[in-house]
Amino acid sequence: MKGKIVKYYPLIPVYIAYLILFLIGINVSGMWQLVAMLAFYCAIGQAFNIFLGMTGYVDFGYVAFMGVGTYGMALSISHLHQVQWLGMGIIIIGLLLALVMASLLSIAVGAVALRLRGAYFAIATIGVNEGFRFLIEGAKIWGGSEGIIFSGQLTQTFGRETASLLSTLWADIFLFFIACIAAFITIYYMRGKIGYALTALREDEDAAKVMGINVTKYKIIAFITSASLAGLVGASAWALKLTYVFPPQVFEIHYTVECIIIVLLGGAGTLLGPVVGGLVYGLTKYWLTVIVPGFQLLIFAPIIIVIIVAFPEGIVGVLKRRFKGTTFKKFII
Amino acid sequence: MTLLKLENVTKRFGGLTAVNKMSFEIEQGESIAIVGPNGSGKTTLYNVISGVYFPEEGEVIFEGKNITHLPPYRRAPLGLGRTFQIPRPFSSATVRENVAVGAMFGTLSNKIGVDESLETADRYIELVGLSAHIDKEAGSLTPTEKKLMEIARALAMKPKLLLMDEALAGMHPKDIDKMVVFLKKVKEEENIAIVSMVEHIMRAVAGFAERVIVMYQGEKLIDAMTAQALSDPRVVEVYLGHPPEGTHA
Repeated sequence: MKGKIVKYYPLIPVYIAYLILFLIGINVSGMWQLVAMLAFYCAIGQAFNIFLGMTGYVDFGYVAFMGVGTYGMALSISHLHQVQWLGMGIIIIGLLLALVMASLLSIAVGAVALRLRGAYFAIATIGVNEGFRFLIEGAKIWGGSEGIIFSGQLTQTFGRETASLLSTLWADIFLFFIACIAAFITIYYMRGKIGYALTALREDEDAAKVMGINVTKYKIIAFITSASLAGLVGASAWALKLTYVFPPQVFEIHYTVECIIIVLLGGAGTLLGPVVGGLVYGLTKYWLTVIVPGFQLLIFAPIIIVIIVAFPEGIVGVLKRRFKGTTFKKFII
Repeated sequence: MTLLKLENVTKRFGGLTAVNKMSFEIEQGESIAIVGPNGSGKTTLYNVISGVYFPEEGEVIFEGKNITHLPPYRRAPLGLGRTFQIPRPFSSATVRENVAVGAMFGTLSNKIGVDESLETADRYIELVGLSAHIDKEAGSLTPTEKKLMEIARALAMKPKLLLMDEALAGMHPKDIDKMVVFLKKVKEEENIAIVSMVEHIMRAVAGFAERVIVMYQGEKLIDAMTAQALSDPRVVEVYLGHPPEGTHA
């Protein structure tokens, strides 16, 4: 039993980091927005890492799962707000709907695209993202290009105060929960057979097959897990926080690129990586926006290039090497 | 008992016939060397047996079961282990984890957990003499160590048939001799049929194999007991070409 708990030690630094972040957010006035943004980057980084980091496949259409998750929450609130007895239940249904819709989309995409490799997979997923957006806009599904605005329904159901609390506080607290769950799933996978299978297929897919690994099965498991978490992130960080959903915004490829940067910056396939990556990325972006407004991306891009060239294994990859053979080794994974 | 049976197996790549109407049988516990010059279709043959390629014609039968179109990940647990010509370790994983993968997925009972697999791995790593490197990343091993690790990984799959692709190439003659002794021992202890593919290390062929199959241009040229096969003049011809007219070999 003790051996089993030791396996989960690396969660300690992750949860401590989140706790500190959370405490800063609620105790230091004016910090909550920044903390919420960092939580968003950490959560989505961790969710994406389960797929990108563990399988080595780059999904350029990842934001689509956040997008459908956003719609899940939006649909729940806009359609169910009249059902009085549900109360807070519509938020829970919204989260569940987000989870289900994102995983269904990932099954559909994964069943086809995961048969492709490398660049072909990446290209196919860009197509899925754009295609899905234009399907919603063109076929006028879920409000078409006008999207869904549900701030009115939210206020109507819960009253002004609760509604505002939901979108300014609880939406962000949900993000912390999702991040914690994602971290747990990551280590649970890493320590289990799935983790071994994914490592093997990431390193050499053909050899993995010959070793008896059903690579498609494990890739799809990682894909669905990662997508479902993205759906939850979309439902809370976008739907619940902004109280509207607008197709060009939730299918913006820019967010996929941010996810990729966070994972690579922190260390792909590591547990701590996306957390470190999310914090470094979020803070640097915020700081640059403050000191050189308007030019942040121009300065940020070369910084990212330098970091990735200097630390190809990510920040955590370097730390892992540095602390090899010391007591800290147990915690840095 | 017949372990593996190939019947008229043909594999083409476009206009090139890499393996042409190959038929042979392998008995349980046999040790066989498949020899042939570069490009004679040995690796393609291995890929057909392990399921990386499906043949255009013919059948692959393992323990009486037709596995011609079975994907590789379902063949491995039946008892088909293999190593690669150029070792293919899972580089970022440790030696222990690499070998554990074999134990975890390469056996029929899906019940084998992570901890048990790691223990099995320890045993096979010790067997091939890599215990000192057990926690090293597989990518950082020397080529010979990588080969040994691959053998441990394949053995952890508890194969009935082990396909080795040039496992001895590039090794020091002393290591080859050691390896031959080791393989013989493992073969006896675990009752594994071992097929070793060799390009031209006759030293290993003579020391290890009971039977030799010589491949040439995708076809089976000779299938005979080792001593007989190696003295066959056609073997020399395959490697060195025809002696010029008027000379005596």
